[in-house]
Amino acid sequence: MALAEVVAVWIGGWLLNARLARVGGPAGRWLPPVVFGLTLLLLWELVVRGFAVSPVLLPAPSAVLVAILKEWRTLGRDVEQTVLRGALSGYVIGCGAAFLVGIAVDRMPFLRAGLLPIGNFASALPIVGMAPIMVMWFGFDWQSKAAVVVLMVFFPMLVNTVLGLAAAEPMQRDLMRTYAASDAQTLAKLQLPAAAPFLFNGLKICTTLALIGAIVAEFFGSPTVGMGFRISTEVGRLALDMVWAEIAVAAVVGSAFYGTVALIERAVTFWHPSQRV
Amino acid sequence: MKRWFAGAAAAAMLAGGTASAEAVTLQLKWVTQAQFAGYYVAQEQGFYEEEGLEVTIKPGGPDVAPPQVMAGGGADVVVDWMPSALAAREKGLPLVNIAQPFKRSGMMLTCRNDSGVTATESFPGHTLGVWFGGNEYPFLSWMSKLGFATDGGPEGVTVLKQGFNVDPLLQRQAACISTMTYNEYWQVIDAGLTPEELTVFKYEDQGVATLEDGLYVLEAKLADPAFVETMAKFVRASMKGWKWAEEHPDDAAMIVLDNDETGAQTEAHQKRMMGEIAKLTAGSDGTLDPADYERTVETLLTAGSDPVITKQPEGAWTHAVTDLAFPD
Repeated sequence: MALAEVVAVWIGGWLLNARLARVGGPAGRWLPPVVFGLTLLLLWELVVRGFAVSPVLLPAPSAVLVAILKEWRTLGRDVEQTVLRGALSGYVIGCGAAFLVGIAVDRMPFLRAGLLPIGNFASALPIVGMAPIMVMWFGFDWQSKAAVVVLMVFFPMLVNTVLGLAAAEPMQRDLMRTYAASDAQTLAKLQLPAAAPFLFNGLKICTTLALIGAIVAEFFGSPTVGMGFRISTEVGRLALDMVWAEIAVAAVVGSAFYGTVALIERAVTFWHPSQRV
Repeated sequence: MKRWFAGAAAAAMLAGGTASAEAVTLQLKWVTQAQFAGYYVAQEQGFYEEEGLEVTIKPGGPDVAPPQVMAGGGADVVVDWMPSALAAREKGLPLVNIAQPFKRSGMMLTCRNDSGVTATESFPGHTLGVWFGGNEYPFLSWMSKLGFATDGGPEGVTVLKQGFNVDPLLQRQAACISTMTYNEYWQVIDAGLTPEELTVFKYEDQGVATLEDGLYVLEAKLADPAFVETMAKFVRASMKGWKWAEEHPDDAAMIVLDNDETGAQTEAHQKRMMGEIAKLTAGSDGTLDPADYERTVETLLTAGSDPVITKQPEGAWTHAVTDLAFPD
């Protein structure tokens, strides 16, 4: 019986989408993904209800929604602690430092030979090993989470910066020289614009890394607020609906963070072929 | 719901049908250590075999929640603490306590004297380390009994979620941290602090102790007499293991070491742990004392604004197994 319902919903969603896709136009473009998402949620709900899956193993999406609506104050405080304090400050510090180091590396081949391997080494450090050490150094609050995020985002940003700054072609550099452009002028007018697609690539990769780092770092000691704290505690209480609520919020916040950077990229690098629609 | 029960009953019947082999899987709450010596002793000394049982002992760890293993069908019986088991019960996973080898709680708060905390009155304004994930409720209940807020205000205490080590105390990030009499307290001592430099508050003395290591099974399975009989044999053999471990603590510690597949435990630490564990299991024949249960429930129900259980649990324990195991 439950199986029949599940199959019926699946086929129904499929047929509906097939029809919508044929309609075309804006509706044909926007509706199918929405229908697909809703069908998945509905299937999840039916499977959990129909097969009486224990809420300890997998709560129904409706239960997760209820948890979000009921606990939105707690979720908001957790987002503030983990995203705004931990992830964002670590992201700004880590990406900023990597950008400055990248410029230095680009100027001095000596640093390129010395610093890149160190950056590579730092990125290979496992987060579960670094997080407890950062907690020991920087205390329990968001500062230690930001430190973990700095470690996580530094290398991807550095590599992208260095690659980007090298993207300007020799002919273009020669042209700048014939204009008697100074180093700073070459950097500002040629190298940085040419590097922009690479820089944004790094910034986009780092949005999700920052969020993961800030959440996981909270597993190793934290004040009594934060998304990682909530996830690890609520798992212990078997409040899996709350865990999924945090996961849903983390997914939405992470996508929004990524989307914001992508929008800025579109505005800044409008001239790049990849941005042409 | 009806269908679920039918399925569970069918599963129980299947389990009953293969009762001749009498295989039992036990999920521990934590890694292999002297905290679970009784079960390893019963295994190694052949007490399970004498009862005709074939027992598989699965060690746990920081990422293993025994109730979840139970819900996934990975174990017949689990070792868990009562707050966690009652929370699981309220969340729709009906665990039932069938035996309680640990009479006393080993949880305590260990404070550095030089932080200025030497009595409960001096808690306000200090940072206290607490384990979360179900272990925070006795603490919250204690604080609400003392009348201290736990939101970090100057009148109350600041709570931090401590990890699985004692660093916050050594680094002076916290004035006090949670420790077990048999484990973390000795890590503090090993790190160079002397007992004279420390003040300990035992939850047992503070009247907020909750029942620790007990044996839990799924309620639906208890409807099957064959399962109850198997559990009675299991509890009887396990308690025989515990009493043997109490009498031969050093030998028991060595048995635990032999079973530690990770090789992470040391002989000195396990012998010391076994000595402390024996104090907690002493005086229990495995039968749950309803008065201890009542105190645990009361402690949990008064745990501040966000209690782990919101209503009086019903049917959370039974003497059916221990009555069968110890008929006198």
